[in-house]
Amino acid sequence: NPGKSCCIYILKIPIILKLSLLITDFLHRYLLCEVCVSDQKNLLLLDDRSIYNAAKAAVSRVHGDYGFALTSIGFSVKYLNAHTGIVFLRCRKSHYRLIWSALPFITSLENRGQRVPCFLNCLHVGGTIRTCQNFLVRYNTQQLHRMLLLCQSEEERSEIRKAVLSCTLMKDTNVDYEESEEED
Amino acid sequence: MNAPSTHGNVDRNMAMFMDLNVSYTTDKKRLQGLIEKAAHLGYSIVAINYVVDMQQKKQEIDKPKCVSELFDTFPIVQGKSRPIKVLNRLTIVATDPSHFRPTAVYKAYDLVAVFPKTEKLFHAACMTFDVDIICVAVSEKLPFYFKRSPVNGAIERGVFFELSYTPAIRDSTMRRYTIANAVSLMETCKGKNVIVTSGAERPLELRGPYDIANLGLLFGLSEQDGKAAVSTNCRAVHLHGETRKTALGIIHTMKKDQPLSEGQREVDDPPSKRPKIELS
Repeated sequence: NPGKSCCIYILKIPIILKLSLLITDFLHRYLLCEVCVSDQKNLLLLDDRSIYNAAKAAVSRVHGDYGFALTSIGFSVKYLNAHTGIVFLRCRKSHYRLIWSALPFITSLENRGQRVPCFLNCLHVGGTIRTCQNFLVRYNTQQLHRMLLLCQSEEERSEIRKAVLSCTLMKDTNVDYEESEEED
Repeated sequence: MNAPSTHGNVDRNMAMFMDLNVSYTTDKKRLQGLIEKAAHLGYSIVAINYVVDMQQKKQEIDKPKCVSELFDTFPIVQGKSRPIKVLNRLTIVATDPSHFRPTAVYKAYDLVAVFPKTEKLFHAACMTFDVDIICVAVSEKLPFYFKRSPVNGAIERGVFFELSYTPAIRDSTMRRYTIANAVSLMETCKGKNVIVTSGAERPLELRGPYDIANLGLLFGLSEQDGKAAVSTNCRAVHLHGETRKTALGIIHTMKKDQPLSEGQREVDDPPSKRPKIELS
């Protein structure tokens, strides 16, 4: 009976959807953070490993073994831009506030024996990487406008504008924003 | 909102973040760095904190430095188009009731805070003292327990309790005291009338407003109360401080800057022809 099998098929779909949500898709939160340092040159020393370790150490310092256990599942550094100091941290949605609450206690990052005093400033919390990226593009344009105000002369300003326009669009859309900031 | 900016002194924007405790240092460069960093993080208003410990002898309360001397042009706040606003705040560390004597010097400051060291003083600070902020100890064990009646009295009067987070960032033992004292305060005040401030001495000790709102989780604040602790509650404190300069919060007078030519003419004119000073 084709009608009956069709009916069963329709009934199954929501169940399958529900199951797939339960089993495969863990909901995540992405924390878009900015690494603030006193000297911008020190940013280039950073790599994602050092941030991962520092975050994990901070969570276990503040929340003990429980926090350490939670950071060992589903916690990772998704993206790091060493030029602008932007980091994407990913963690499970169920306990992102607990991990986030430990991040203010990071005072320095360590890489290959060098300590960089810094702090993490959370700019945005998103459910997907895409929303975070959109936010970052907007944020970086805003930064550019702020920096243009600091220009001393009109020549300097037009020079920077020209530099921004001459940037070629690469695969990643926020590359051109980042490059323009460096030149400032 | 077309109200002129020189009038009223308080912006009516709700989502403004404030940090009402930035330590004063004589080092002007460091203070500038602190305020620039605060503007970068998105704080619209910061208050420079002058601490006076009355226990030490011959402590005198000086007039605060003029804010406009700090910068030629104040840095623009992140995400806003207006420059950061800087206030002056006085904190009196009191161990004896005689330490808090409201004089004319207090009026030179935008905000007045008191740090009571004994239970008796805490009671007095909550019920009678004309202050905006009561500081809660964060770097030592609480010398007394918070009682329901003075805390409720303070909430009714619109006085706020302050927690500062810089000691917690510096040291692990301080962090324990901070969290313990914060949680015991929250048990009595249920998350109402609390502000969280930095108390930072160096630019790297500041934290972003969203981080601090979330840090409320450790202090026993709900998500909403945590956000209020860095925004709307601080605004209430600022407004409370403003009312001290006015007559019952209704009339506010200020000096009007007059051009030089008018000032010279004033000498020649009889008093009846002089321009009247406007009340605003």
